[in-house]
Amino acid sequence: MSKYLAIFSLSWQDEFVYRVNFILWRFRNVLGFFLAYFLWSGVFSINNQVFGYTKTEMISYIFLILITSSVVMSAPSADNIGGEIGNGNLSNYLLKPMGYLRYWFARDLASKCLNLTFSFFEIAVLYLLFRPDLQIGVIQLQPIGFLLAIIPAVLIYFFLSTASRTIAFWTPENTWGLAFLLMVLMDITSGRIFPLDVLPGILQQTLQFTPFPYLIYYPIAILLGKITGLELTRVLIQSLIWVGAMCFITRWLWQKGLKVYGCEGR
Amino acid sequence: MNRKLVALFTFAKILRVLLFLLFLHFLLVGSGELVGYSREQVIFFYLTFVMIDTLSQLLFREVYRFRSLVVTGSLDGILLKPINPLVRVLLGGMDLMDLGILVLTIMAIIWWGNKFITHDPMLWLVYILMVVNGLVIAAAFHIFVLGFGILTTSVDHLIMVYRDLASLVRVPVNLYIEPIRSLLTFIIPLGIMATFPPQALMGLLSPQLIIISFFISGVLLTLSLWFWKKSLYSYQGASS
Repeated sequence: MSKYLAIFSLSWQDEFVYRVNFILWRFRNVLGFFLAYFLWSGVFSINNQVFGYTKTEMISYIFLILITSSVVMSAPSADNIGGEIGNGNLSNYLLKPMGYLRYWFARDLASKCLNLTFSFFEIAVLYLLFRPDLQIGVIQLQPIGFLLAIIPAVLIYFFLSTASRTIAFWTPENTWGLAFLLMVLMDITSGRIFPLDVLPGILQQTLQFTPFPYLIYYPIAILLGKITGLELTRVLIQSLIWVGAMCFITRWLWQKGLKVYGCEGR
Repeated sequence: MNRKLVALFTFAKILRVLLFLLFLHFLLVGSGELVGYSREQVIFFYLTFVMIDTLSQLLFREVYRFRSLVVTGSLDGILLKPINPLVRVLLGGMDLMDLGILVLTIMAIIWWGNKFITHDPMLWLVYILMVVNGLVIAAAFHIFVLGFGILTTSVDHLIMVYRDLASLVRVPVNLYIEPIRSLLTFIIPLGIMATFPPQALMGLLSPQLIIISFFISGVLLTLSLWFWKKSLYSYQGASS
């Protein structure tokens, strides 16, 4: 465990080496917020309620995307695993006394902690800028539900992105193509741009059988008090099932991939 | 290039456009209108943005590879050749992978525009001129990125910052409050790039604004070319 803590610490320090890159990355995240904020503000300028959301709830959702996506979707592993398999650098890690995927998960955690810290700062600045009414449920212990939902979300995202990168074992030239497709799907179906309640009921029902809504939409909906009681329990159980399923699929693909890994590029 | 990769990318890009269109459709079915624009108009704004964005990615793809030219010193070879280096690094790597989606988008614009916006050929002519004007603005931004690439080698993030800024005008720039609206229209003229062409087609743009938009794009292009020239003086070719 101490070696993974050391990796976490080094990754944390590493993020500060390229400060301009990190600042630009955070700036880009905030830009995404602007579109969503003004889009929904425009919608609610003539409507009091849309898709079961009041303006306060929708703006709260937009603000919470900043935090949730910082925790769930900031993962340097997504940008590196495919490349390391394709260019043969994976061999260096296979020789070391540590798990490769655990190595990258430790690095991801460092990145998430840093991004989370900065997202609180960004939210503070944006709140002072726009002074919106925000609503976050605390009466029915929604924050605890949120935490219980965010942990599986982190794991699902890690396994999902890792599983997609394992294609590099077989066709390294197609890794980025599949990753791009996954990114496009996740952007819309995870609730990162808009709450999934916007979609018709049948689409919402279909999406819950995919891992995507568990990344952003369900954790935020829980925190806003939109999902409570038995439905909350169902969502949490389903998210754990997805963690198990994605873990199994990732491990299976990884083992299969290692058998054909030829260290090309070295 | 690998056919599967091309097919995968094209499919993903088309899916991205369709999913956002679907979102706009459901959003406006639920809300009725957006800052005074109907569902059909908002969708037309988005289609125009997709066309301009795709066209600029198709034309200026080489900009994304510029960093490696600077850090390896390969830019020296380009500077020595009897071809304008700016033309080479800006337009020298057209990415025909975006051609498929561009053609589909143009077809969608022509069909949707004729069905829901207008048939007036004069307005369509002004629309085309404003789209060309938008491309001039996009070119100017890419030239600025190239200049910064020589000074800082930080091309990748800058070009993505530009793309993220540009994505703010997927919807009409009127959506934003002041001073953000004016900032996006006249200072960082992305609003002129993506919002003005559809507004021109809808007959919402005054002749004065059209002239001002051409003036602004001319000024921006001139500034970008000056900046590129100044940046070249700083290039040291240290890695070659």
